[in-house]
Amino acid sequence: MVPFAETGQAAEKDSAIFIEIYGFVPSLFLAQGALATSEYDLINTIILRGAALARADKHAILSAVAAAHGNRYVFALHKRKEGGLTNPALAEFGQKLARSGPCVSKHDVDLLSAIGLNDRAILELVATAALGNMLCALADALNPSLDPELTSEPPPRLGPRNHLWNPNFGPYLQSEASIPTELASLLRDQYGFIPALFRSQALWPELVGAETKALELIVFNEDHLTRVQKESILLAVSAANLNTYGVALHRQVLSVLGESTDISDGIVDGLSSSCLRANDKALLTQILRFRGSDVGRFDSTGLIESGFSQQQILEGIVTTGLGAFFDTLQFGLGTPPDFPPRRVFSEKDLYPGGRDARLTFDAAVRPDPDADLVARVQAGETEAFEELVRRHMRRIFGILNGLFDNYDEAHEAAQEVFVKAFEHIGSFQGRSKFSTWLTSIAVNTGTEFLRQRKPMIPLDEAREEDFRPRRVMSWDEDPEMLFAAGQMKTLVRDAVLRLPQKYRVAVLLRDINQLSTEDAADALGLSVPALKARILRARLMLRESLAAHFLPSEKKNA
Amino acid sequence: MLSCAEFLAEFGDYLDQVASPELRTQLEEHLRECKTCRVIVDSTLKTIKIVTDHDSFTLSPENVEPIVSQVMARVRRKTTPGS
Repeated sequence: MVPFAETGQAAEKDSAIFIEIYGFVPSLFLAQGALATSEYDLINTIILRGAALARADKHAILSAVAAAHGNRYVFALHKRKEGGLTNPALAEFGQKLARSGPCVSKHDVDLLSAIGLNDRAILELVATAALGNMLCALADALNPSLDPELTSEPPPRLGPRNHLWNPNFGPYLQSEASIPTELASLLRDQYGFIPALFRSQALWPELVGAETKALELIVFNEDHLTRVQKESILLAVSAANLNTYGVALHRQVLSVLGESTDISDGIVDGLSSSCLRANDKALLTQILRFRGSDVGRFDSTGLIESGFSQQQILEGIVTTGLGAFFDTLQFGLGTPPDFPPRRVFSEKDLYPGGRDARLTFDAAVRPDPDADLVARVQAGETEAFEELVRRHMRRIFGILNGLFDNYDEAHEAAQEVFVKAFEHIGSFQGRSKFSTWLTSIAVNTGTEFLRQRKPMIPLDEAREEDFRPRRVMSWDEDPEMLFAAGQMKTLVRDAVLRLPQKYRVAVLLRDINQLSTEDAADALGLSVPALKARILRARLMLRESLAAHFLPSEKKNA
Repeated sequence: MLSCAEFLAEFGDYLDQVASPELRTQLEEHLRECKTCRVIVDSTLKTIKIVTDHDSFTLSPENVEPIVSQVMARVRRKTTPGS
C-alpha cells in the first residue's frame, strides 16, 4: 500500500487526540492523511469522552475485537499490559458482535443488563465494538506498518465460531430520547427521513453528532467519489456483512438518488450479475475482496489502472470502514429496518456449508466463501461457475504469469486451469478451500506447461544448498521511496523471475497472493515445515537480489 | 546463545510473527547482540513488503471479463449434449 503510506500528516487537533489516547499518532491514521479527521470525532467521542465505561475497558474491548479478526495491528494498538477488564463479559460481547454480528440477540443484551450495565453503558459497549470493527477494516485495507512504539504480538486464536443465527429485530434498548433538532434536520436533508439506526442511539446525542460529522466528511460530499458510488459501497458492505437493515437502507437511498433497483439488487446478490459500470464493479470487487477473505490484500494498482485516483481509492476504503461501523452498531442495537427489506439474510448465508459445518470452522479459517457456488455447480448449474471464474481469475492468472513470464502463455494456461476445475469439480469434496484446490491445479498446470518448454529451465539446486546472506549493509529507512512505482514493479518482477522455479512458486503463493502458510503448503502438496523452509529461503534470495538497490541513498551515492 | 547460522535457520516464524514465545525470546536475545542479523531481519521484512506491494504479474481488472467469457464458452461446449 505504498500510495497511502506516503500521504500524510494528521491535522494538529487530530494529532493531539491520537497522542492523548495512544501516546503517538499511529501510522493507521497517518496513512489516511486528511481523511482521518472523519475518525477523529468518533474516536474522541467513544474512547475519550464516553464516560459510561472505563477507558481501560474500552481498550480491552478493542483488542478483543481485533483478536476476533486476527488483526495484528489493531490488537497491538490497543493491547495494554496493565489495567484488565472489570468484567470479561464486556469483551465476550464485543467479540461476538465482531465475529458473528447477525447472531447477537436480545438475550445477549439482557445478560449485560443482568451484570449491571444500564442502556447508556450498553450503547457505549456496542459503539466501542463497532469502532473496533471499523479500525480492523481500515487496517486490513491500508496494511499500515507497525509503529515503533508498538510491540508485535500475535493476537490469541479464538475457538470455533458456534453462534446461532438471530432472525429477530429489536430494538434492544428501551430508553426513550430524541435526537437534537439540528442533527435531526441534517439527517432528514440527506436521507429524506431519520433512519431508525440514529434514533436508536438517541441516548447519546454526542455519538450521533460524531457519526453525522463523519458521514458529512466522507459520504455526503462528492469531493472524490460520487455519493452514488459511496452508497453503493455501503450497500455492498452491508450485503457482505449479512446486514438486512443496512441493505434495505442503502438500497432505498440509491433509489432516491436515481440508481435503478436492478443495479442495487445486483450488488446485493453478487457483483457478477449486476449491470454496474465496469469501473465501479472493479472498485466494489476490490473493496470487498480484502475483507478477511483468503484472496489477499487490497490492491490499489488495478484500480489506479482503471482510472481511480489515490484519493478516490482512499475515500472508498474509509467508506468501507464506516460501513463496518454502522453495520456493527445495528447488530448490537437490533434496530429494525426502516423499509420492508427486499432481501432478508438468514443462517444459510452465514454458514453456507450447512448447519453442522459451522462446528468445524476455526476463527482464523473462515467458511469457504465459494462453498455455495461450488455446490450449485456440482448440482448441475453450469452458469454458477462463471462467478467462480471471475472471482479467482486475476489471482490464478498472476501465479501463471509469474511462472512463465509470458502473458500469452498465462492467458492460455489460465483458461486451461478453469476448464480442468470445471471438469473435476464433482470430485472436489471441500476438504480444502475451493481457492486452494484451484491454486494446486494452477501450479500443476503451470509446471506441466513449463515441462513442455524447450529447453527446460534449470532448477538451480546448487544455489539452494549453500545459500547464505552475503549483503549485510543496512537498507534505507523507507526503500519504497527510492523509486517510482513503475520502477519498483520492474525491480520486483526481475527479482522474482530470477528465483529458481520452486522458490518462485512459493513466493507467488505466499507473499504475492497472500495465501496462509497452511493453504500454500496445501496447494503445493508440502508439509507446513517444508513450505516454511522454502519460503524463508526464497525471501532471503529475494532480499539478496534487491539489496543493491535499497542501500541508504547517501551510501549509494558515495 | 544461538549462532548466526541457527538464527537464520529459525527466524522464518519470527518474520511472520508466529514464533512461539520461547523461540522469540531466544531470537531476540541473539538480535540484541548481533547487528548483522538485525540488518538481515530488517531488510527481509522490507523485502516482503516490497514484493507484496509491487505485484506486476496479475491481470488488470478490465482484462478479466474477456477471459471469463472464453472460459465459459469452453465450459458450455462441454455441457452441450452431443458435443
